[in-house]
Amino acid sequence: MKLIKYSLIAGVAATAVLAGVAQAKDPRTAAQVDDEWNYLMAAVEKGDGLWHNGKLGSNGLACGNCHPDGSASNPHTWPKYQSNLGKVGTLRDMINWCITVPMQGKPLALDSAEMVSMEAYATYMHQGVKIDLAKDEQYGGVPVKSGPGYPDRGGY
Amino acid sequence: MEKISRRRFLGMSTTMAAGTLFTGTFAPTATSFFGLGGVAEAATKKISPFTFAVLTDTHLYDIADHRFDGFLAKAVADVNAMNPLPDFVLYAGDIGQSGKESELKKGKSILDKLKMKYTVIPGEHDYYLDMGKAWRGFFGDDHWSFDHKGVHFIGMNSILVPDFWTMAGLTPQERMGRMEELECHKCGLWGVGSQQLEWLAKDVKNITPDTPVVVLTHSPLWDYYPRWNFQTSDAPEIRAILRKFDKVIAIHGHVHQVVYNKIGNISSAGLMSTSWPWPYPPVQLPYPTLKMGRVDPGNFEDGMGGHALALSQEFDGLLNYREFAHVLPENVRRGLKL
Repeated sequence: MKLIKYSLIAGVAATAVLAGVAQAKDPRTAAQVDDEWNYLMAAVEKGDGLWHNGKLGSNGLACGNCHPDGSASNPHTWPKYQSNLGKVGTLRDMINWCITVPMQGKPLALDSAEMVSMEAYATYMHQGVKIDLAKDEQYGGVPVKSGPGYPDRGGY
Repeated sequence: MEKISRRRFLGMSTTMAAGTLFTGTFAPTATSFFGLGGVAEAATKKISPFTFAVLTDTHLYDIADHRFDGFLAKAVADVNAMNPLPDFVLYAGDIGQSGKESELKKGKSILDKLKMKYTVIPGEHDYYLDMGKAWRGFFGDDHWSFDHKGVHFIGMNSILVPDFWTMAGLTPQERMGRMEELECHKCGLWGVGSQQLEWLAKDVKNITPDTPVVVLTHSPLWDYYPRWNFQTSDAPEIRAILRKFDKVIAIHGHVHQVVYNKIGNISSAGLMSTSWPWPYPPVQLPYPTLKMGRVDPGNFEDGMGGHALALSQEFDGLLNYREFAHVLPENVRRGLKL
């Protein structure tokens, strides 16, 4: 235990030194920030497409059938104990549970680009939603109006 | 002085809560204060009491032995086992998932097992592959009215969206695919359209205001959550046409959940599906206590079922949600007063 404690202190000190070095670097440019945002939005859009893709399962159902706008996936509340999983699991575990049980499909690799993008989509749709594990209902994400505030999908 | 036991205190609380709920149910909503609300209910003509059943949102797939087939069969068997039997059944749309003739045919073959007459309106999932052609072949007109034991019943097609597909050059399959998404970003808001509004005005023109009226639409006749088309764009016009009636009961599918509202002379209730339940959208419900509880994703029957709507001599409606599994709070299980 003591060893872990000292290791942590050493780690914090090392981080402080590194942070000092990092501060010497210029802040990201507006273009860099835009690029990073666009990378995220590309992942969100890819996730949105997969979320509504009935081909992930074998019975026609997509995640979006029951979870429009990623609602009731509550990505901000994971990891947590989930009775379906029988353990403290992650949102990715739960996505795979939905793909394999109600949708009767094959699970995705947990670290696959597909899985990460679906997590990005669900999380994006819940920005700013409070964590409330005791809430006795499944609820939607943030209120969304079509158009502004939501990434437009190609061809739509 | 008698000491109030915990049990008795709880009993009193329940009674008081029920009283509060009743008041809340008929309190005018914020919406109803604008334009149509705040009017006292007048008495309707006496009717011969009866019960009818309502089913909706089966979302059948063109896949053999799909579990949704079994859920519709279960709901049909439940209706056939009611004692006494309901006079007839109304179906509030979305028999199929992708508008395929095979889905609608399968749905009709299961619904045909009902022991009594049934009448159907379309949902968007029935419609946008061939613009309702197959649906009309199986079920006839998409809007209708009839009279039964003193009540005037009206059904309308409320899922007509402006053309988003021609300019975009979409195939019928692509158009249907867009409409299959509840949160379709470019499909637009739907409604009944000007032709049905004209038809409705003519239909009720010579009907006296004390006639009890029941309206069936796929989508709610109030702005609930437009993002998911939990709305009907020309609902204000529909409500204005129906405003002359002392009392109107409106029931709708599409929302896959228990939800209630009252605007002026119209009591409105949402229906459960027999396919999957939907979570409540991130908006305040007008009547927050009238909803279903948390559903278990591991129980495919949670939050689903059929309905029986009993109408008394005074046209008091009691909507019973006949849930497959137990998710309804006690106040909803007793039935919604409409």
